Amino acid sequence: MKVILEAIDLTKVYKVGKIEVPALKGVSLKVREGEFISIMGPSGCGKSTLLHTLGGLCQPTSGKIIIDGEEISSARDAVRTDIRRRKIGFVFQRFNLLPTLTAKGNLEIAREIYGNGRDDKDHIHQILTLLGLENKVRHKPSELSGGEQQRVAIARAIINKPSILLADEPTGNLDTENSQVVLAMLQELNRKFNQTIMMITHNPEAAAVANRLIEMRDGKIVPHEHDVSWDAAKEDKIYI
Amino acid sequence: MSQSIVLANIFHRPMRSLATILAVGLEVALILTIVGLTQGIVMDSAKRIEGIGADIILRPPGASFLMATSAAPMPIKISEALYAVKGVRYVTPVLTELNSQGGLDLIYGIDLPSFNEVSSGFIFRSGSEFQDPMDVIIDDIYAHSRKLKIGDHVTFLNHSFKVCGIVEHGKGSRIYLPIQTMQNLMGVVGRASLMYIKCHSKQDVPEVTKKLKELLPGYTVLRTEEFVSQMSSAINDMAALRYFINLVTFIAALVGFFVIFLAMYTTITERTREIGILKSLGASKGYVLAVFMKEALSLCLLGFLFGILLSFGGELLIRKIFPSLQIVLGLEWIFKAAVIAVVSASLGAFYPAIRAAAQDPIDALAYEV
Repeated sequence: MKVILEAIDLTKVYKVGKIEVPALKGVSLKVREGEFISIMGPSGCGKSTLLHTLGGLCQPTSGKIIIDGEEISSARDAVRTDIRRRKIGFVFQRFNLLPTLTAKGNLEIAREIYGNGRDDKDHIHQILTLLGLENKVRHKPSELSGGEQQRVAIARAIINKPSILLADEPTGNLDTENSQVVLAMLQELNRKFNQTIMMITHNPEAAAVANRLIEMRDGKIVPHEHDVSWDAAKEDKIYI
Repeated sequence: MSQSIVLANIFHRPMRSLATILAVGLEVALILTIVGLTQGIVMDSAKRIEGIGADIILRPPGASFLMATSAAPMPIKISEALYAVKGVRYVTPVLTELNSQGGLDLIYGIDLPSFNEVSSGFIFRSGSEFQDPMDVIIDDIYAHSRKLKIGDHVTFLNHSFKVCGIVEHGKGSRIYLPIQTMQNLMGVVGRASLMYIKCHSKQDVPEVTKKLKELLPGYTVLRTEEFVSQMSSAINDMAALRYFINLVTFIAALVGFFVIFLAMYTTITERTREIGILKSLGASKGYVLAVFMKEALSLCLLGFLFGILLSFGGELLIRKIFPSLQIVLGLEWIFKAAVIAVVSASLGAFYPAIRAAAQDPIDALAYEV
């Protein structure tokens, strides 16, 4: 399987005044095409920092990130922005929809930023149907339930067919029922469209829908006894 | 598409948008009204001078185009010498003075018989010619705006005058006093501010003008068309008037700048999270900058259109309340007002938009209102 994302010895140090706070302490990982990875760990262990760094929202202090063959860790902001636009889809815990736009408007703006404008209405319709949102296109976020908002956010994240979908606690603000719906949809996207997904979660049940689990602690990935290859991990949920 | 996010943002905070549009509208209306009034007064004055029907205007050395600011150094006796010039048919001396009591009007002191000869006479709406040294003739617009009728008393030059006649407007001034009365009151007996000259025929005008220049070196001898044209362009030529217009324009532009600056500054603070969202979607700095600049310029455009409406509404209102005041809303200044509004809005929006574009996406996403 093709490696979609590779992180090599990533570190990230935040400066709070004169104090340096290390958030990532040498993280290395490989993500292959079609993987659905859950990242678990206690609060403050560096999960979100890892996701933001991998997604090019911030630069690592040291180390390398290669996304679909493009090195972004040392790239300047404009280049990281371009790679993020073309290759990354983000889903956040707080949905982060643009509140002034309708569901359809939120999707269209993602298309526009990507550079496709309104020219692919069929694709938008296909995704809205897949996520059960075809009747909600004219609704603004404030008129949608949490579950519906998160589905719109997922639709927006995948509308440009990104190489990898990065989800930061996508069920963190949802009740059990909506969480299950959202997780089922992520799973379906992974299975049907071979969408590569990395998902942060605190919820072991949510983590269980992934086919690979990464545990983090104190800015590092926790090593486990068995380093299982992708082929073996494909069918089972295995810690690596 | 960014148009729809721009529109959505404008409608999301209707009161703020409305206040911004109103302020930009006021900026535009302020420029157009002040310039329109200045131009209107000068143009109207020029039109009325043209309406007298004289061919040549003679003015003393160093006289200003603003008649009200001229002294009266020209002896009336000059008119005898003027009549001696071949081609001159009629000459009428006029003494001018600015009346600031109850308004700002130019008073003409006229010698009625010779003024009638040059101007082919007044058309009386009511009343008649001067019967008494303390009589005044006013035009219909002045009478209407001050609600004056024949027999009413009105104060000019600190003296009370009786309205003896109301005439059709368009002959030099709106207020006419007997020239001797005015000379006595102003202490300039035997003097005039200017002379209107009528030639026997239009063909005589160039030759008469030439001869008058030779006869009265240093005096301003201008054909009426020439005088009117110079008066119209005096707005641009007169430093004080130009500074006044520039100052008003600058203040208006400053208002527009700060209104847009404040509106956009509060907007980007309020929408910090949205900026983070756009950036997480891969929006470039240029895209974010464009969204906010488009929003500011859209508000500016709406404000400009409102300002145009306001200016034309103001013109109607001014005409209704002050019929003697003229206002000219020319295309040239409408265009200039648009440029000023766009430039001030762009400058006002630029810093907030730059600030928005430079936001760190993670900080922006974590922002809590």
